Amino acid sequence: MTIVIVLLLLAIALLGAPLFAVIAASAMIGFYREELDLSIMAIEFYRLAEMPILLAIPLFTFAGYLLSESRAPTRLVRITQALLGWMHGGLAIVALAACALFTAFTGASGVTIIALGALLYPALMKAGYKENFSLGLITTSGSLGLLFAPSLPLILYGIIVQQLGIGLPLSIDELFLAGILPGLLMLIVLSGWSIWSNRVQHTQAFDWGETKAALREAAWEIPLPFIVLGGIYSGYFAVSEAAAVTVIYVLIVEVFIYREIPLVQLPRVIRESMVLVGAILVILGASLASTNYVIDAQIPTQLFDFISAHISDKYTFLILLNIFLLFLGTMLDIFSALVLMVPLLLPVAIGYGIDPVHLGIIFLANMQIGYFTPPVGMNLFIASFRFNRPVSQLYRSTLPFFFLLFFCVLIITYWPSLSLWLPGRM
Amino acid sequence: MRRLLNSVRYIENGLLVLILIAMIGLAGSQIMLRNLFDSGIGWGDPILRVLVLWIGMLGAMIATQQDKHIRIDLLSRYLSPTWRDRAARLNNLFATVVCSLLAWHSGRFVYFEWQDGNTLVNNIPIWVAEFVLPFGFAVMALHFALLMLQGKHEEGT
Repeated sequence: MTIVIVLLLLAIALLGAPLFAVIAASAMIGFYREELDLSIMAIEFYRLAEMPILLAIPLFTFAGYLLSESRAPTRLVRITQALLGWMHGGLAIVALAACALFTAFTGASGVTIIALGALLYPALMKAGYKENFSLGLITTSGSLGLLFAPSLPLILYGIIVQQLGIGLPLSIDELFLAGILPGLLMLIVLSGWSIWSNRVQHTQAFDWGETKAALREAAWEIPLPFIVLGGIYSGYFAVSEAAAVTVIYVLIVEVFIYREIPLVQLPRVIRESMVLVGAILVILGASLASTNYVIDAQIPTQLFDFISAHISDKYTFLILLNIFLLFLGTMLDIFSALVLMVPLLLPVAIGYGIDPVHLGIIFLANMQIGYFTPPVGMNLFIASFRFNRPVSQLYRSTLPFFFLLFFCVLIITYWPSLSLWLPGRM
Repeated sequence: MRRLLNSVRYIENGLLVLILIAMIGLAGSQIMLRNLFDSGIGWGDPILRVLVLWIGMLGAMIATQQDKHIRIDLLSRYLSPTWRDRAARLNNLFATVVCSLLAWHSGRFVYFEWQDGNTLVNNIPIWVAEFVLPFGFAVMALHFALLMLQGKHEEGT
């Protein structure tokens, strides 16, 4: 009976039913069979109004939308180009650095390809980079930066772990610290590849005048990462406070100082960003209910017993976890994957002695690659649509980047200190 | 009908803008108060948290109307247009049923809370904050029912 229900729900999810409805249905069926009053669903959804950290989600999302609506991407590209353009493969590194920073602040991937790719792709082509290299680079960069603060998926992982309340208490700040070195590793490996594969590329001379002009143009935006990251890492701001500071700062700079977003456009931007927030929050609300049921029914314990009966050591488990997450990342967007899988995986991972902070970094690093893993990684389709190239060409062009980042993910997975060293020094 | 939809849109936009600005203003003043005067508004934080729920539900209602909920769009790519249409109707029927159930049960929940008379802060009863749940799910059920009658998902989610 249970199997039939699970299969039916899975089938309708794969057919494209809204995920929150599928999750809510699974929770309701579970509660119903435990003979609980279904008004418990409302109690679970109302928990959305009991978590102070959730304030960060609408605020960061809105700030991200404002940034991508303004000309901030152009200024960001100009400034990184002035600073890094003199190196071999410099423009490629510009693309990587700019995308990572932008994704960290806008969180939801896909936005980066659309906002920055439109600037970087023509620039790369004009500078003589090969088409496939440029396409692969932009598509890959679309999810780079997920591991850097204040990225929304990182925050969401922390929220889910805190809600579960198992293992050691974990703070979002620890996650922010843990993501730095693994994120840098990915950046460095991709930069190295860009330099190596474009050895013969001509470069532009470093130009003081252009650098100064670019810095001056972006003078109002340059302090933002320093204020937000400095505030978070120094412990001066809580995450939700950092979100409020970011949104106020961005609002003042883009709307009143640069005047790039007219006031009459604000309702549209708010509406578009809050649709995404609503879509994320109903999934989170539904998953609070389903998680409660899953834990009540001791499913993670059963899952662990089952897995540990077949897999004895931690490393085999980690390999299978990597494969599973990679596969998951191609099918599910990062938010749904987090709310659905973390409650199941975390207890199992803790059983194998994996640190929750480390698990979070492994999870997100895999998801990041999943965004452009053939055949169904979401960013492949976004890039294919945006740059008007067949998806099969994108499969080929992202392949070298896929292997490089997969190599990084393996390092991140099997070298826990890379993630845990920084938070451990706090 | 068109004029009705337009005015609904105005109301939705107005509410979104109002709630978001209230959130930003309230969060901003809490930070100022904490850092400058080492104090804060007592009712500020609970209200902020409720506003998150409200703006989330409002966003979800609009996401429903625009068919922008997050879904796994895996199989429908390989279906013929006729079957894609049927799948979309089935999905929306399913979502209509789920949202109706959620609306009904959260409505009962709000009714219990109204009877209990618990308060959120000061004299504001907590059911006022919770009322957004049955209301939101009812509106979403309605939108899903309309989508079901229309068939086919809109492109690009």
